[in-house]
Amino acid sequence: MRILIAAVFAVFSQQSLAQEVDLKAIVGAHILPGYQALAKEAQALSAAAKADCNPESAALLAAYHDAFDAWIRVSHLRFGPSEKNDRAFALAFWPDPRGSTPKTLATLMRDEDPVVKDPVAFATVSVAARGFYAMEFLLFDPQFVDNDNKTYRCALVQAVAGDIAANSAGILADWEGGYADLIASPGNDTFRTPQEAAQQIFTSISTGLEFTSLARLGRPMGTFERPRPARAEARRSGRSLRHVILSLEATRDLTMLLAGDDPDVARAFDTALSRANALEDPVFARVSDPQGRFAVEVLQFDIDELRRILAESVGPRLGIAAGFNSLDGD
Amino acid sequence: MADRRAFLAGLLASTLWPQHTWADAGAPAFLSAGKGPDGTYVLCGLSAAGEMTFHLPLPARGHAAAAHPKLAQAVAFARRPGRFAIVLDCVTGLEQARLIPPEGRHFYGHGTFSADGAWLFTTENDYDAARGIIGVWDTTRGYRREGEISSGGIGPHDMKLMPDGETLVVANGGIETHPETGRAKLNIPSMRPNLSYLSSTGEHKGVLELPEDHRKNSIRHLAMSDSGTVAFAMQWQGDLYEDLPLLGIHDAKTGDLSLMDEASVRRMNGYLGSVAITPDGAQVAATSPRSGRLQVFAQGELVREKTMVDVCGVAATRDGFVSTAGTGHVVSEYGTPTQHPIAWDNHLIPLG
Repeated sequence: MRILIAAVFAVFSQQSLAQEVDLKAIVGAHILPGYQALAKEAQALSAAAKADCNPESAALLAAYHDAFDAWIRVSHLRFGPSEKNDRAFALAFWPDPRGSTPKTLATLMRDEDPVVKDPVAFATVSVAARGFYAMEFLLFDPQFVDNDNKTYRCALVQAVAGDIAANSAGILADWEGGYADLIASPGNDTFRTPQEAAQQIFTSISTGLEFTSLARLGRPMGTFERPRPARAEARRSGRSLRHVILSLEATRDLTMLLAGDDPDVARAFDTALSRANALEDPVFARVSDPQGRFAVEVLQFDIDELRRILAESVGPRLGIAAGFNSLDGD
Repeated sequence: MADRRAFLAGLLASTLWPQHTWADAGAPAFLSAGKGPDGTYVLCGLSAAGEMTFHLPLPARGHAAAAHPKLAQAVAFARRPGRFAIVLDCVTGLEQARLIPPEGRHFYGHGTFSADGAWLFTTENDYDAARGIIGVWDTTRGYRREGEISSGGIGPHDMKLMPDGETLVVANGGIETHPETGRAKLNIPSMRPNLSYLSSTGEHKGVLELPEDHRKNSIRHLAMSDSGTVAFAMQWQGDLYEDLPLLGIHDAKTGDLSLMDEASVRRMNGYLGSVAITPDGAQVAATSPRSGRLQVFAQGELVREKTMVDVCGVAATRDGFVSTAGTGHVVSEYGTPTQHPIAWDNHLIPLG
């Protein structure tokens, strides 16, 4: 059966685009608004950190949550300006299996490293100590919240916030300064055909969903014998499940723009989203008991089912081959 | 009593470990892992003409295989982060040994035998230290783990034995991964791949690092000519709008390095799957399943380019190159293509 499917894919891949994709709508209604929101919220976070850098500051915490939300809503768009100068890595260093973020932050604090005084120098600090996940440690983890060196922590919070704002502004500037046109109007060196542009969008949806399944859900699930709730993403600020929901919403929005009103795909997204919304386990703490784990596992299954539908139905319809080797290399 | 035990051990060894040679396995020219129509995974022998010589079940999806230079034994590696590899007798299909890496290590999916077949070397991840290592196994003692040496970098992937029979060349892909995070890449901003030349006892003999702008070009797969010229295929970890060559040829004796401009990030979609070199080193082939292309170079110039859906495995023969694809096709450049009901996996391993 595999052979037959592959043969059908081969025929599709010969065609330019089996289905017209409105690339301008994707850029104008999804990508640019997403990055504009990120740049705005990141700027607000930096301003809030300047006004009051204390982890108790309600205004700072609110700005942190808003900016982090804005990032998660674009975090699947990992190509072009987000990859230039490793900006996306500097905004979001996670997962971190070897605990590099708290280690690097602790070293900066212990040494009272003057690098925090200069934004240009701070941009050379390891990505582990920059971005939203570093900010979360500084604002929510007792190791840093209860640290007596409030002056340095304050400078560090402000430096991280400023760096988040600079990277977010840089990504937006590159999108608005030319990259948006490259992908919206293919026929250039970056995107030679609409199919290449559609492929890039499709890849960002599928890798975004894969990340949610494997990392956001898979990490805290661990194994049945050994669940690992402490590995949940951004659990210190209670955001783990929220990231799953925001990311599903954003990829749903992008998928609808790419694939049109496909009832199977829409239904699969709705199933996953309603399951996520019904899950009363904001940081996946309940993966330690069999029932709680089962609930998360069902959500993971929903997302994997969604990925399967996208790979098997939407991809080929757009003329994107879903090969055995091409999508799963090593 | 001791004598009796030794006698029994000898008897067991000779009956349970039949010394089949490749001729007994239908004299295949190549090995490849794949996925059958019923969704099960297999390891197959293929003749130079693309006919199947054997067909054995695997417990999980394989990546590459290493072939014993004399005996009909193949080591099939689980895909990374694999925790096992199995040694198969390719005549009987029986599992002869199962390799489990020590605690804190996993396989990357490639390995190579010493020239006499006595040792097997495997690329592995010492993941808590983010350090690449080469595992050393004694094939004459039932593939017992004998030790490990540093691979000279992070993320060692493919590895070959140089014609001197002593030097290993290792593609350190540079990418840090950890089993806790599956295949997520943890150090892209700071990655630094290299090609390391090591003695089998761990002495570092030389290292090739590409210039700074190639920092995100992960060196993954290797092919070696009879004289020790190494062709290396890379996978680009940066954005696709940067255009760099993905294929290089290195001669450690002269220090000559050349990069094939036409095997570019743009043309090959940032990703080479496999590489092969003719024994005389005159021609090099590289595949990209993502762009569905097979390219052949001679003297640094692109001489042939073919499109083939989901092409990935490639190996050199005396008459050009043979390639395999996820569609089941086995295509010899100058022979008749064959197709099998098997989606061929990443690599086509030449024997002998």
